[in-house]
Amino acid sequence: MTRLLASNAVLVGLVITALGAILIPVAIRRGRRDWLMLGYAAVYTNFVLITVATLALVWGLVSHDFSISYVAQVGSRATPLLYTIISLWGALEGSIVFWAWVLGMYAAAVVWFNRKREGNLVPYAAFTLLLVALFFHILLIGPANPFLLVAQVLPDGPGPNPLLQNHILMAVHPPLLYLGYVGMTVPFAFAMGAMFSGEVASDDWMRLTRRWTLSAWGFLTAAIIAGMWWSYEVLGWGGYWAWDPVENASFIPWLTCTAYLHSAMVQERRGMLKLWNLNLMVGTFVLTMLGTFLTRSGIISSVHAFTQGTIGFYFLTFIAIVLLATLAMVAGNSDKLGSTGKLDAAFSRETVFLLNNLFLTVFMFTVLIGTLFPLVAELVRGVKVSVGEPFFNRMTLPLMVALLFLLGVGPALPWKRAPGPELKAKLLPGVILGILGGAAGLLAGARSPYAILAFTFVGFSGAVNIGEFVSGANARVRAHGEAWLVALSRLVSGNRRRYGGYTAHLGIVLVALGVTASGTFKTEREATLKPGETITLAGHTVRLKEVWGREEKQRQVIGATMEVMDGERVIGTVEPRMNYYPTSQQPVPTPQVRSSLTGDLYLNLMAFKQDGSNATVKVIWEPFVSWIWFGGFVICIGSIIGILPARKRSGVAASAPASVRKAAAALPERQP
Amino acid sequence: MTVTKKRKWGALAAVGVLAIAFAWLIYGGLDSNVVYFLTPKELAAKGEKGYDVPVRLGGQVKPGSVKWDDKTLDLQFRVTDGASEIAVRSKGAPPQMFKDGMGVVVEGRYGRDGVFQSTSLMVKHSNEYKAPAKGERPAEMYKSLMKGSGA
Amino acid sequence: MNWKRATIAALTAAPVIGLLAWGMTRDPNDIPSPLPGREAPAFQLAVFAPGQGDLQRPVGDTVRLADLRGQVVVLNFWASWCLACRDEHALLSTVAREYSNRPVKFLGVLYNDVPDKGTAWIAEMGGQSYPSVDDPGARVAIDYGLYGVPETFFLDVNGRVAYKHTGPVTSTVLRLKIDSLMAAGAATDATSGASGDSAKADAPGKNVKARTGR
Repeated sequence: MTRLLASNAVLVGLVITALGAILIPVAIRRGRRDWLMLGYAAVYTNFVLITVATLALVWGLVSHDFSISYVAQVGSRATPLLYTIISLWGALEGSIVFWAWVLGMYAAAVVWFNRKREGNLVPYAAFTLLLVALFFHILLIGPANPFLLVAQVLPDGPGPNPLLQNHILMAVHPPLLYLGYVGMTVPFAFAMGAMFSGEVASDDWMRLTRRWTLSAWGFLTAAIIAGMWWSYEVLGWGGYWAWDPVENASFIPWLTCTAYLHSAMVQERRGMLKLWNLNLMVGTFVLTMLGTFLTRSGIISSVHAFTQGTIGFYFLTFIAIVLLATLAMVAGNSDKLGSTGKLDAAFSRETVFLLNNLFLTVFMFTVLIGTLFPLVAELVRGVKVSVGEPFFNRMTLPLMVALLFLLGVGPALPWKRAPGPELKAKLLPGVILGILGGAAGLLAGARSPYAILAFTFVGFSGAVNIGEFVSGANARVRAHGEAWLVALSRLVSGNRRRYGGYTAHLGIVLVALGVTASGTFKTEREATLKPGETITLAGHTVRLKEVWGREEKQRQVIGATMEVMDGERVIGTVEPRMNYYPTSQQPVPTPQVRSSLTGDLYLNLMAFKQDGSNATVKVIWEPFVSWIWFGGFVICIGSIIGILPARKRSGVAASAPASVRKAAAALPERQP
Repeated sequence: MTVTKKRKWGALAAVGVLAIAFAWLIYGGLDSNVVYFLTPKELAAKGEKGYDVPVRLGGQVKPGSVKWDDKTLDLQFRVTDGASEIAVRSKGAPPQMFKDGMGVVVEGRYGRDGVFQSTSLMVKHSNEYKAPAKGERPAEMYKSLMKGSGA
Repeated sequence: MNWKRATIAALTAAPVIGLLAWGMTRDPNDIPSPLPGREAPAFQLAVFAPGQGDLQRPVGDTVRLADLRGQVVVLNFWASWCLACRDEHALLSTVAREYSNRPVKFLGVLYNDVPDKGTAWIAEMGGQSYPSVDDPGARVAIDYGLYGVPETFFLDVNGRVAYKHTGPVTSTVLRLKIDSLMAAGAATDATSGASGDSAKADAPGKNVKARTGR
């Protein structure tokens, strides 16, 4: 029943999507507004149908309907309800359903908000969205059909992959990732719409999608940080980033999208980089598809590999079509994309944005090449190789440090012209704090030049970006006599886009601080302890109290109770565990972390004697790790600030008396 | 016309130079940091060139070869592919279910003393859905540790 | 549209697509087996599941690989806890029955499992047409360099490993390998003129999903 409902919803959705995709271009050709509305209706209907299918699948999982193939594959009666629901995205087929649902939602929303706009941009964007949706529907009736009928219905299933049901972050990371990944389809569709409709020389496709792109970027950022947090909490080696292909797949489009967010401003203000921006956005979309292909087709070896099937061929075909079509479209339209402005001053904010784009693009290619290199090596030289962390670290550390520096330089520079004498005042606190930061790193024992530079630039960029808030608020206090905090909040809400950006910068600075500190000062020890014995690391002492076992409904747990000591006093207990799931031969390590502002004490149970007479534990001291997660949170706040609509009120520069305008002129220019 | 054309060629040349520099850097980075994935037989066949370079060695743990000292955290075993075998030494506790005959991938370097020093040890999961065989169920193995069920 | 530029740009995508397409033919996790082309490791193992009809072997009977010389052997390693084995089970059973009067022997080898569970699993799956043997201590599995289940080895008439398949077999692979090995065997023997009506029976329209999870 549930199965029939869902598979019919998918089937009807497929037909309606296809009809809509045919109808819209016809409607545009004939100039029939009423047909166009019918085409838009196909977008909305598709959303309704895919919602039905998604809910049906969730219901199938919750009601343990093992006649549905997907439920038989990932369901289990013993799995707790929450993990049963989130196993919707725990395996291939379900994740495609979820993807199609997110895409349907985005498409319906963006078309609805822009339905009244004249011209052919939105219709062609809707057309592109329908084509992408059509592809996912084809997957759903073909290689990723979760609604197959199971011939022999078994009373129970194996349950989701143990790694995915071992931590609550699995309820957070995948949806964020899909919201980010799929969200990139919206600006892509509008970029395509601009090219199809001939409105490519105007900035409208960028303006209309600015909030959509920014929210997709925010989701993707949050997803990457949540993914790092998940590997840190679950995988048991105390790290959060290993340049694994799956991690790279989410990071590569993030780099191009970040570049786009900056270069889009150059186009809007200065009329430059039009061709480049189209390339970046189209490229971001292609890279999300490529990333999905790499992780779902199993052509690259990864610790997180999904199950393989024929789906890779579908993705490859789709990527080939998209790549050929978009490259041809962009190149074919390149005549119309000349700059209407030019670079006026060599040392202005535009220049920093250009450098930012150059570094981010080089960064993207480095990660992409490193990820694909095993394939190339096998094709060309017939050897199996893997490209490990040393390559990525060596190649990307200089880029990261340079980007961190630019992040502090950019906000201090004015648009269009070389900086005047105010630059000194803006940079001074940054320089001081930068020197302090570098010195602090050096004193703490950092010796790698990159680490010292990173600490320096964390101080520098942090101070410059905070300085922008402070000097802006001070100017308002002077001009309006407002209380300082009121001035700050009015400053931000008066120009959300700018100050949202600076907030995100501060988040990046915090992440950089956490990454540099934990990477530089991480220490670890491993020892076999008898109950009562202690191990000391970086001034922290832990004592093994006992090794125990416990039987839970869906798993068995072996744990070690470790007491954190302060002298003879016990100040806390931590219980690293090993979880045994019936479907996995290997136990799932379940490290436990004692977090504080200055660092994390990370304990992982490595081995134990069967009689509990000893346990081998790994203790890791990682300073400042939690700052990474906090920084990710700040970045999200920044994107939310940037997305919220600007307050409808007369702006300072427009209506205030001349004296105020003068004070405001001391601030950097307002964004449009 | 000529000025813009000149400028265009100048820009193209600059991009070309940057691209070549980038390719050179990447090539250098890859050349010295790539890890080869070899079986014991292939590693043995490399001879002199197989020593002291980063390698991922894949094969099976030779039955009866595992020695693990939980005081010094010293783990030794031999990896075989049916044709050749290589002695591996690693620091740190083996995965809990580490045992004879299981597929492993060890990353490290093959020393001239004929011992492969491993820096990381990965167990090959033969299948996502792999139940422990009889006598391997944790509930049976660690009965003495079980505090009782529920929770 | 500037079509010249468009075409040039589109052409630059070709190498990338070509590389990815080529990548689809590889399995990066597959450590190449040294076995194909070499003599199959010998074994003698006891039957625990008898099989059905013509293919039956009594329980407890010892199967020696050496005795199967002269026939194509399909060696399928499986276990009751292995989900992907469920996908290929019906296909193996059907094809074994189809080829029952040809010089082909199917043999299941139980991996890291106990015979009782294996028998129960066979019953649950609706029977298995060919016999299965137990491999205590996974000794034979180690000889064959097994990485997981299911894995299927195809041995030629001279007792060499001709091909190793990782993950659930598909109808095409199964029939193609058997037919080509039988044809090769017939050519070397030069006894039989019948090359076999190979492509006659089509695969049962079952959706065999690769679910190896590597």
